[in-house]
Amino acid sequence: MDPVLTTCPFCPCGCGFYLHSQDGKTAGVIPSEGHPVSHGRLCARGWGSHEAPAWGDRLTEPLMRHDGRLRPVSWETALEAAADSLVATRRAGRTIGVLGSARATNEENYLAVRLARGALQTPHVVSCLTATYQPLLDGLHDVTGRHAGSGTVADLEHCEVIILVEGDVAVTHPQVAGAIVRARKAGCRLVTIGAVASQMTSLAALSIASTPGRERAVTFALVAAALAGGRLDTATIVAAGASFDALRRSLAEAEVSEAVARAAGWYAQAQRAAIVVAPLVADAAELRRLAGDLATLAAATGHLDRDGSPLLILPARGNLRGACEVGASPNFLPGFTPLSDDGAGSRLEGVWGVPPVRETGLDAAQMLTAARGVVIVAEDPTAVMPAGALAREALRRMECVVLLDAFATPALELATVVLPIASFAENDGTVTGLDGRVRQVRAAVRPPGKARPGWAVLAAMLGRLGPATEYHGAEEVRREIARAMPPDIGARWREVDEARVVPRAERNGGRRPSLGPLAPCEPIEPAPSVAVWDGVLDWGSDPLVRYSPTLCRDSAAQRKLFPGGFVELSKEAMDRLGVRQGWPVRLKSAGGEAVAPAVMRADLAAGVVVVPFAFRDALAPVMGGHGVTSVAVERA
Amino acid sequence: MDNLFLPRVARIAAVRDETPDTKTFDLVLRDGGERRDFTFVPGQFMELSVFGIGEAAFCFASSPTRAECIQTTVRRTGLLTDAMHKLAAGDEVGLRGPCGNGFDVAAATGKDLLFIGGGIGLPPLRGLIWNVLDERDRFDKVTILYGARTPADLVYKGELDEWARRGDVELHVTVDRGEAGWTGNVGMVPTLFDRTELRPATTLAYVCGPPVMIKFVVQDLLMRGFSPDSVISTLERMMQCGVGKCNHCCIGHRYVCRDGPVFTYRQIREMTE
Amino acid sequence: MQVSSARTIGKERTGEWIGRLIENAEVVAPTAAQAGDVIFRKISSPVEVQWGSDNPLFPPKQVVLPQTDPLVTISRGADGLVVEPVYDERPRVLFGVHSCDVKGIDFLTRMHAYDLADTAYLRRAAALTSVSVACITPCPLGFCICCDAGPFLAESFDVQLTDLGDRFLAEVGSEKGGRLVEPSADLFRTAEAGEVARRHELEEAAKRAFGPETCHFASAMRRVSVGRVSAELWDEIAGTCLECGACNFVCPTCYCFSVKDQGRDGHWVRCRTWDSCQFRAFTREASGHNPREAHRERVKRRFFHKVSAQYFRRDGAVGCVGCGRCVKVCLGTSDMPAVVAAIRKGAWHG
Repeated sequence: MDPVLTTCPFCPCGCGFYLHSQDGKTAGVIPSEGHPVSHGRLCARGWGSHEAPAWGDRLTEPLMRHDGRLRPVSWETALEAAADSLVATRRAGRTIGVLGSARATNEENYLAVRLARGALQTPHVVSCLTATYQPLLDGLHDVTGRHAGSGTVADLEHCEVIILVEGDVAVTHPQVAGAIVRARKAGCRLVTIGAVASQMTSLAALSIASTPGRERAVTFALVAAALAGGRLDTATIVAAGASFDALRRSLAEAEVSEAVARAAGWYAQAQRAAIVVAPLVADAAELRRLAGDLATLAAATGHLDRDGSPLLILPARGNLRGACEVGASPNFLPGFTPLSDDGAGSRLEGVWGVPPVRETGLDAAQMLTAARGVVIVAEDPTAVMPAGALAREALRRMECVVLLDAFATPALELATVVLPIASFAENDGTVTGLDGRVRQVRAAVRPPGKARPGWAVLAAMLGRLGPATEYHGAEEVRREIARAMPPDIGARWREVDEARVVPRAERNGGRRPSLGPLAPCEPIEPAPSVAVWDGVLDWGSDPLVRYSPTLCRDSAAQRKLFPGGFVELSKEAMDRLGVRQGWPVRLKSAGGEAVAPAVMRADLAAGVVVVPFAFRDALAPVMGGHGVTSVAVERA
Repeated sequence: MDNLFLPRVARIAAVRDETPDTKTFDLVLRDGGERRDFTFVPGQFMELSVFGIGEAAFCFASSPTRAECIQTTVRRTGLLTDAMHKLAAGDEVGLRGPCGNGFDVAAATGKDLLFIGGGIGLPPLRGLIWNVLDERDRFDKVTILYGARTPADLVYKGELDEWARRGDVELHVTVDRGEAGWTGNVGMVPTLFDRTELRPATTLAYVCGPPVMIKFVVQDLLMRGFSPDSVISTLERMMQCGVGKCNHCCIGHRYVCRDGPVFTYRQIREMTE
Repeated sequence: MQVSSARTIGKERTGEWIGRLIENAEVVAPTAAQAGDVIFRKISSPVEVQWGSDNPLFPPKQVVLPQTDPLVTISRGADGLVVEPVYDERPRVLFGVHSCDVKGIDFLTRMHAYDLADTAYLRRAAALTSVSVACITPCPLGFCICCDAGPFLAESFDVQLTDLGDRFLAEVGSEKGGRLVEPSADLFRTAEAGEVARRHELEEAAKRAFGPETCHFASAMRRVSVGRVSAELWDEIAGTCLECGACNFVCPTCYCFSVKDQGRDGHWVRCRTWDSCQFRAFTREASGHNPREAHRERVKRRFFHKVSAQYFRRDGAVGCVGCGRCVKVCLGTSDMPAVVAAIRKGAWHG
């Protein structure tokens, strides 16, 4: 039946459109006007999403590495080799792990979790991007008791005030940016907080500059300003009791600028106000505290559980929330259930037939370093991990690397067994949007060659490692997810209703937010300059972009013009250094130094150097896998 | 009616290195009938395909007066030209064309002709130069001024010698930077103006080269009394169809692939947008 | 319109007519899809037609210009490359379109016949006949009346139907249209004078019903044509544009494309693929130089192409049929009526 309604695979806004196909290949996209999220609007990536499945370098048959080269084998042989090599590696006392993915469906991520904690009896299951999102959820949980924000993108359009901590949301989450633009036309006051000016900054009624990686200095001050301003939610304050005083005391040292005071005032006085956090470059502890600050701000002003006042944390890519929610995380069982929850342990044992391993797992970077066997579901760690080159080295050292993917990526060279799976255009399943809604992905065409749906391949692997599980379709996997989840959120998984918003009761678990002291904000040490990545994800290396002739052009041109990478400096900085466009500059940090061509970026603060995520490896000696580093810059 | 997107198949008859990053390809249409019927005007371009890699616009570097083969000179700048540089005699490519307006050769009859080329700007002029030299009597004084960054970057080195030896052509060559063994002029192309007698009133000037070079040369010519209608250049834009449909190459309402690529300086000056 | 050339068909017989059309051609009509959408799609039965729906967001231009359009196949044969053109000349009927979309396809056909004729496009378009339903109520966001593209058409149509309640008045505007009606003459009868008068009444009422959604092209055209719109204004308009390309994709008169080869290892299909002048890469050259690197240059370019006098002279019409789709589909706030108003007033309120 052509065309087929599905969900966009790129970002977690979860826009809906129909995939149209011709001669067994996807050939076009028709937006869905009635869709509750997108209402017929799509971004450039959505419009081009039909291209990669049809034009890309597809994996079409199982492969095994033999004498250094990958050779075609049968599915039987490949699955057997995959299972056997993982078991052998584990038996030899070595660490094994499973990488889920923001590029895979909930069903695939869930089966990856079951494969790890169930069949392979390893606690190491996580996605490469989990560390960019989970800490923010943990920060929300510290205050609200749930690992979730609230509200939807549609709510943004009716807000009077939007506080946006970013990022570059026009590039990372265009549907969100669109809602903000339309809100602004209707009179909404936009407040942006960020280190690097973006399109949203130019539209802001008030833009507050922050130091890269230290957005928290502003959010901490916002809470202080809100408390000083007095428009607070009485019920929440009273319920907090003594901890509210502790909160007040913890904010005593906050530096509140006039702009921060104004922003806090607008937010507190508005009936409908939003907080949006775009993907940020900062370490996990900072992210957790930042989310805690913002949840406290929302709670103290009464916005936290008010309909029409969304608190949106934007995952960096497609199904990152889904991956975390079904358990691709070192610290949780499916449904953000603590590992210590015995009830959950028994529930999973009932569903899986084996008790789950309930130890804390390693995060992605640690796992890649420690493991000697890994299953990778639809991901290229070398392109996505903060230290891409280290990921490549780590995979090279491994005894077995079982790679499931639809597209050829650089990870292919490092795989020992390759299992070809369906792309989003050929797959049935679900993905979870940034607002927590579970959305349907539907196959529009058959997978090419011998490729199979990812969930079916993972089920086959499970079958070789334990009790055989027959799923007669992706929906059966989803219904199992419902049984594996805690009962209060399992309902959302049993029936997929894309129009239904996540109920508030599920968001807050029926309890009041707990206001407590916020961790002190460390003083920002002055540095001559700060180098910061331009984001936490490089769209150019994502196969859905790379293999789309229309979408790949910008990143391909960048790589062609600057094969060794480049850094962005302000005009001021370049004039001061006496360098012109393309001339080399040397960045020096405590960790080391590197030379790269300088490219001018308008509206950049003089002390900020932007390093495109795509070229982070070239600057690794300076930044060492960290997104933010103090540097000195000189002409090379 | 021909299908606008249907390429003809051409075989590479020969490949010659011009500079470290530039090669000249001699192409022959595979089909005899097509070979016979194919005509073009200097200044036009063709769309060449290496199938699976892509297709791009390349100027005719040969003259229609020499029909044995079609020539083009290609600098390696990206995926497609990289792929082309790996091809050898016997390999096949796709060829669509001729595209564009070409030089108005008839309008040059009886005039003095001044050719000014910089670097990879000589190939589009070369077709017109050989056309002119093959019908020498139709034209008055012929002057060629050519420059490149270094001696190694000069294209058509053999032909430069040939033109230098001819009595009916005045040729001056320069390089921005000399090298050991270079005994010729050193300096940018505009420095050659003082080596020749310019006659603005009776001359058509054809200028091709990097945008910066064109800018300075044209400024100089206008200052020396050339009219904007007598200064002729070529414009480049990103192209896809080459036949005025895809809209990539528009400048204002002009299509570089149809109204150009050859434009007078007056036309260029009047372009909006 | 001559009274004698107009006919009527009772609504109870329209299904039979459509059934006969389906026997001889691929009939594309508005159909119901999931999520409450109505999309143009090939039908296999008259009951699939969604009558009286709002104009589907995705325009029927896909029928003459598919988003991925195979043009040429190339393969390696024993004696070298084998190159074959691809033609799609399937007879098609586009049933139930609005006037604006008929005008849009007419515009596209003129563009592809102009100067060097695109035979692949023209053969496909020649095999397409449209049966449009004139609009008695203006679309909520439409302004076709400003573009001479509706609500009723006086020309450029094949068959125009007017809904008279329990029957349709059918006007035949072309030979192609005649060939759809003649063979089913038994289902039609000559229109009565009263019915023709009613059709004219409905047209006048429809025109009067256009409210504030008008679009002052003339003053925008004057300013755009001589470069009298400031860079700052283009900058502001660009500020609320998110470069999604949707305006180009849904516009019935946009047709920018790229040409790419799909396939590998000895067998390729050269395809025309939709492209957008709003994408930064649209004008980037192999050297990396981009004459429209700045966002405002691209926004300026779009409206120059759509609304300038230079293009009006070349194309015979403004590049807009007033369907209002760009208003619905814009991810930001930079749609045609808003931009035209901004050019006229010299200020952006987006």
